[in-house]
Amino acid sequence: MNFLIALAPEVVLTGVACLLFVMAALPGAGIRRAAPWVTLLALLAAGLMVGCRMTGWAEPEGVRETVLLSGFAGYIKVISLVVGVLLLLVNWPTNRDGSGNPTLSLSSEGPEYFGLMLLSITGLLLVASANDMILLFLAIELASIPTYVMVSISRPISVAQEAAVKYFFLGAFSAALTLFGLSFLFGTTGSVTLTGVANVIGGWESMPGWLILGGMMLLAGLAFKLAAFPLHFYAPDVYTGAATPLTAFLSYVPKAAGMVALIRVLYALAGGMPGELPQVFVTTLWLVAVLTMTVGNVLGLMQQNVKRLMACSSIAHSGYMLTGVVVLFGAASIVDRAGGLAGVLFYLTAYGLTNVGIFAVLMMLPAKPDPFVYDGKVPPATTAETFSDLAGTGRTHVGLGLVMAACCFSLIGIPLTVGFLGKFYLLRPALAGEFYWLALITVVNAAISAGYYLRILATMFLKEPRAAAGGVEAAAEPVTANLRTRPLLISAIIAAGLGVLLGTYLDAASALRTLTLNSLDVAPRAVDSSSEGELVASLSE
Amino acid sequence: MEGTLIWLLLIPLAGAVVGACLQGERAPRWWALLVSLATAAVTVVAACEFDFSASGQVQLLVSPEAFRLPEAGISFTLGIDSISFWLIALTVFLMPLAIAASWESIASRRKEYYAWMLLLEFAMLGVFAARDLLLFYVFFELTLVPMFFIIGIWGGAERQYAALKFFLFTFAASVFTLAGVIYIGTTAGQGAVPSFRIEDIINSAQSGMSTQARYWVFLAMLAGFAVKVPLFPVHTWLPLAHTEAPTAGSVILAGVLLKLGTYGLLRFAIPVGAGPEVLGALTPLLGVLCLIGIIYGALVAWVQQDIKKLVAYSSVSHLGFCVLGMLALNQTGIQGSIMYMINHGLSTGAMFLVIGMIYDRYHTRDINQLSGLAKQMPRLAFFFILFTFSSIGLPGLNGFVSEFLTILGAFTSPHLGIGYGVVAALGIILGAVYMLHMAARVIFGPLKVPQGHHGHDDGHSLPGDIGAREIAVLTPLAAAVVILGVVPNVILKTLEEPVAALIPSESQIVMVEGPAVVSGVGLGE
Repeated sequence: MNFLIALAPEVVLTGVACLLFVMAALPGAGIRRAAPWVTLLALLAAGLMVGCRMTGWAEPEGVRETVLLSGFAGYIKVISLVVGVLLLLVNWPTNRDGSGNPTLSLSSEGPEYFGLMLLSITGLLLVASANDMILLFLAIELASIPTYVMVSISRPISVAQEAAVKYFFLGAFSAALTLFGLSFLFGTTGSVTLTGVANVIGGWESMPGWLILGGMMLLAGLAFKLAAFPLHFYAPDVYTGAATPLTAFLSYVPKAAGMVALIRVLYALAGGMPGELPQVFVTTLWLVAVLTMTVGNVLGLMQQNVKRLMACSSIAHSGYMLTGVVVLFGAASIVDRAGGLAGVLFYLTAYGLTNVGIFAVLMMLPAKPDPFVYDGKVPPATTAETFSDLAGTGRTHVGLGLVMAACCFSLIGIPLTVGFLGKFYLLRPALAGEFYWLALITVVNAAISAGYYLRILATMFLKEPRAAAGGVEAAAEPVTANLRTRPLLISAIIAAGLGVLLGTYLDAASALRTLTLNSLDVAPRAVDSSSEGELVASLSE
Repeated sequence: MEGTLIWLLLIPLAGAVVGACLQGERAPRWWALLVSLATAAVTVVAACEFDFSASGQVQLLVSPEAFRLPEAGISFTLGIDSISFWLIALTVFLMPLAIAASWESIASRRKEYYAWMLLLEFAMLGVFAARDLLLFYVFFELTLVPMFFIIGIWGGAERQYAALKFFLFTFAASVFTLAGVIYIGTTAGQGAVPSFRIEDIINSAQSGMSTQARYWVFLAMLAGFAVKVPLFPVHTWLPLAHTEAPTAGSVILAGVLLKLGTYGLLRFAIPVGAGPEVLGALTPLLGVLCLIGIIYGALVAWVQQDIKKLVAYSSVSHLGFCVLGMLALNQTGIQGSIMYMINHGLSTGAMFLVIGMIYDRYHTRDINQLSGLAKQMPRLAFFFILFTFSSIGLPGLNGFVSEFLTILGAFTSPHLGIGYGVVAALGIILGAVYMLHMAARVIFGPLKVPQGHHGHDDGHSLPGDIGAREIAVLTPLAAAVVILGVVPNVILKTLEEPVAALIPSESQIVMVEGPAVVSGVGLGE
């Protein structure tokens, strides 16, 4: 019973997901149209429960072995649900028969799609609080496996099927690596919980080689979820193949799950004290962070398709977040370590909010299918993807242009957007913790990324609209409809609005920052409340 | 007035937002003019409140609550000393003129254009009014966004390339500045909370930091500011951006945006790097870069066929003087340098305006196709020649004072010395050569009809002289050019105190007279 109370939000989400699967078996458009509303209610209910929990429900007795209800988990759950609602809005089926929307072709699988979406979000929530390593692994997979299915049902075309298969096989490969790594943790420490592993490792003088090998495997397996170098290469193909609203989902939920799992597993490997992680891991993380952001940004410069470009951008942003992880485990001073973690948490929110906005805008713009991707046919569920689709749209759709501008500037890290603060909070502990090269490479990467984000804006605002430029011929070519649905508009406005509000009205940003600072208790050691706890108090005074 | 500086920023910002929502073709430009004049009026109020007898003090301090992030050490603190004040005055002086100059020449998407102009004004004023390094950086970066759109949408043929190059060049360089800013803020703070207040930053740099750290922070700041100025090897974005920008864009770019770089150098980089180990070691090198910029900019300007590009390259040359004066690190040099910022803003801004007026009529800026404009347009020719003289530095006009002071500063500086002064003076001669060369060919000589401009279809004659609106735009500039040439003390006097506060203490200068100078080009005093 206690277990159910502790996991109440996850239980609700899973229950509703099952309900949605049942609904999918029933005929009728009404059922399909009800599915997103049911999903929304489930997310809100779960949000309410997490909110209550954060404001101080006592932790149920006797579940610590399996799940940990830390402030860290609470924070991750809150932002997952908030971004989850935005992602749901982007995926909202607006067709009369509930079969998706012009950018998402679900036919009769609508309720299943949303059920899978809930399951994936549940996985992310569980990752944040699973303490048992088997539960952790299952949670990671719960966040990922539904997405494989979602990719394949999101569009009835071969590109999507190809993407799904690619995603599935590589995902299975990475799952195997993760599981293998976790088995090493169990094998060397004899404990099946992360706290147990941490306690055992904390008592050791040095780390056995097997454990380092296992840790490296874990890193590799989770790097796939993060789309981090060297397991990043699937991202552009999968992101392009999936329907655009799903791409928005893919670029957040599995990534966040990977990031959270990575931090928690590394905590265990460090024996619960992040400063004591063996240097070899810190060095590896450093390399992975630097290579991830650099490879992502350089690839981004070369893209001709905006969805591929956003895949590269998503790779690069994983790299930025990894700098915070490096500082968390590598910095000498406890203040800087805490700053690193708080930076990652802040960035997760900043990225999650503004990333959705870009995809929402892409969905709302009229498009001509990319001949390189679709062999000149006009498949269902296509959105603006190429730069020629975007040409001049900042003039013809001023509001969408402004949303895109706000989101792009936020992702570059221009002041007055939340992205600037995100970079600031990552760079500050990095510089204070004497990771000068890391900070330098990060800022250089921010400059490189400006190259391709600006190209989006330049195409939208500085180029002539396509119809005007190409004359009658271009106007007669097949173009998808200009999609203006209320859920999409709402999500775009929320994304851009919050992005700018948090960047300008610093009281709001300060509230979010305080929230991150109160959520640094990743893995409270069973034994002592230790200095990490005091630190949290000192930072959030 | 309560919180004058807040109003100074709020008016253009609110004006931009309201202007973006206005309907109609004519309303936006009147609105923009009104807002920019209102901003100028607020500056006059600020001037009345500002106590010029204590011009070195930071005055009119305000710090509203809602925009602080105490935990991150970010304080929204505004305040001005006389250096800031005069640069703000320059900004609010040029802005209405730039808007009036866009009156007819900006024909498409006016609403957006004027909104971006006002937003740009907001950002520029913010840079000069900020008393918090991070706030300064925020505004510094923010200027890129409106300028990107102004160049990219309303610019010349290569506007898209120019806009991207402008943004990427300056942004790529200033991210290093960001790293430096965050680092120094962290060291200036207490415990986990950084501080970006200018006083704390400079205190920390001059007392707490190691030489090596100061060296790197100085270089990081230099990276962003030198590109903005621009100093010699990183100037390549400037000619393109200046040439492709619309007239008003060029005026603001040359008039104010370049000064953000010199202001940043003066306000932050030099105090942080003060002392023999950092500035002492780098001054000879930087001075040489300035000299190369002066001579190279002048030589390249000489051979330009496009008169706008010529003036753009002249900016490279002129900003070399400006930074050279600053590097002299003595009262004369720095005062001259600040004067140079203002005077260059006036005379180069004015040159761009006049050239824009020529272009509006002839649709060419090719030096080979323009000739004898004095016959056709005597009034325009008068202003053209006046601003050319000002740019050259003819005694009696504003340019002379600042050129003289910067070179005098370089001559008498223990850091630079005679060698620098002589080469810089050579730059003045070259400046006269290329400017007069251009003026002579464009204004005098036989009247030429530009190719492809064989009158209009009815065959009637060339376009007429400048009209009342254009005279109204140029007259205030002409007046300022003459007044600052005759009584430069209006400004110079008030600069004494803040400059004295900037100059590193006596002991540091004495130490520099050792080996650091011998290794340089100069001979010392």
